[in-house]
Amino acid sequence: MGMQGDFFQLLKEQGYQFGNPVAAAAGIEVPTATTILALKYRDGVLVAGDRRATAGNMVMYDRTDKVLEIDRYSVMAIAGVPATAYEMVRVLEHSFKYYRRTQLQELSFEGKLRAVSKLLKENVPAALAGTGAVVPVFAGYDHEQGAAKIYFYDILGAEFEAVEYAVSGSGSPTIRGILHYQNTWGPQPLAALPEEQATVQALRLLSSAAEFDSATGGVNRELNLYPVVKLITEAGVRVVADGELKRLYEQDVVRAR
Amino acid sequence: MYEEPYRWIEAVGNRRQYLDEQFTKGAPVMACAYADGILMLTASRGTPKLYEIYDRIALGGMGHPADLEKLRFSLLEMAHIEGFNRSPSDVTGARLMKYGLAPAIKQAFEEIYKAPFIVKILLAELGTRPERDLFLTINYDGTFEESRRWAALGATAAVQAQMGRYLDAQAGFEQAPLKQAVETALCAWAVGSLAQVAAGAAEAEEPPGPRSVETAASDASTFPDKASLLAHVQQIATEKSLECILLERSGPGSSKYRALRPDELGGLLPSGIRAGSPA
Repeated sequence: MGMQGDFFQLLKEQGYQFGNPVAAAAGIEVPTATTILALKYRDGVLVAGDRRATAGNMVMYDRTDKVLEIDRYSVMAIAGVPATAYEMVRVLEHSFKYYRRTQLQELSFEGKLRAVSKLLKENVPAALAGTGAVVPVFAGYDHEQGAAKIYFYDILGAEFEAVEYAVSGSGSPTIRGILHYQNTWGPQPLAALPEEQATVQALRLLSSAAEFDSATGGVNRELNLYPVVKLITEAGVRVVADGELKRLYEQDVVRAR
Repeated sequence: MYEEPYRWIEAVGNRRQYLDEQFTKGAPVMACAYADGILMLTASRGTPKLYEIYDRIALGGMGHPADLEKLRFSLLEMAHIEGFNRSPSDVTGARLMKYGLAPAIKQAFEEIYKAPFIVKILLAELGTRPERDLFLTINYDGTFEESRRWAALGATAAVQAQMGRYLDAQAGFEQAPLKQAVETALCAWAVGSLAQVAAGAAEAEEPPGPRSVETAASDASTFPDKASLLAHVQQIATEKSLECILLERSGPGSSKYRALRPDELGGLLPSGIRAGSPA
């Protein structure tokens, strides 16, 4: 019992159910919409997300953190219904810790990916009912292969590895094109960008997304609100501080008039 | 045969004697506060004796590996279910001890037709502030104690008290930086280990005599000097490997537990001591 270190199984034995569909979902405005992105840069992977949560045309909250650390080496950026997404992160966080602490070794990177897919699969009924769709981007450092990696998913749990970058959320169509353009014809491919330039790119991309998508929050300088930017390298996950984002924004994102 | 009360008491007494014998050769465990959190150390052969239980809780054990493993799993299960259903801050050492470990160990100890758990367990809990750090120890019969600043596991209560007395004599150990704290804790550990060796030798000379393990250990009111304590550690380190874990208050992320790698520990040890056994 419990010898396999599977926390999700343990929860189920305790009567826990993940992702219950609600039959009468029609007509309920569920908060969704967002822009998240992950790109490979010189030292690893950068994951960023805007901070707006909306329900229909209502702005619910402007300080959401959609780039959630699951453990020291992986983050999940979420687009979709936050309630489900946060619950997923909680399950994953406890599952990875429980595995590490019982088995006395880290869950492999493949194992972590599998855990994400499994939860999304459990969530299919809720996703189809319209109350719980989540479209995450998962990024982490694979110690086995010595590389940071990005994966994106559809709402049914299918997993795709992104070679250079991945985007999700309602603002993503805007920046997908920019990413392709930058990566192909920019001064250098994204994978060659040093940390600071990659962060500048992320700020510019999210500002562009906010320009064309009402559900994406950009930068609010009066309130000192900047997107969330996290960097994953061999040393683990690091959050780019607001002060640093502010400096880069003022230096390289605002056009001098 | 156990229906009569005195028979039962006799059976429990035998059980105590049997269990006491099981720990005489076990390595003590020392846990204490230091400048940046809590450190715990012991020496082990093969299976580790120090483990991560939850974000801020570490476990150290003496006894049978299978029993320790069984209790460790039940603690992990309890802690993670609670941390998920309520919140990580509701997972506390005191609750794990009172509602998890103690009832299970006590019941196993008193059910005299079944095998008891051959374990002594120490839980160290890192508080949000140093004054909230907590140590809990439980004996094989289910009695548990709470303490501040340090806790120890040893073959007998006297050995444990002696390890603590040594530590208390080192003024300000809880503010010491890691390297210094490791040395002090190792010395305290050696006090316990030497007391057990001495008790074992006394036992061998005059078995079941009046001079029991307890009295042999509590006799020593003065401690060996630091050089001989470290020499003992050095000697133990040739046959066993030293284990040291930290609960770091300012560590990254929510999990504050970190096991020191042998090379890292090697760099912290007083010169002449190796972290791992040559094997």
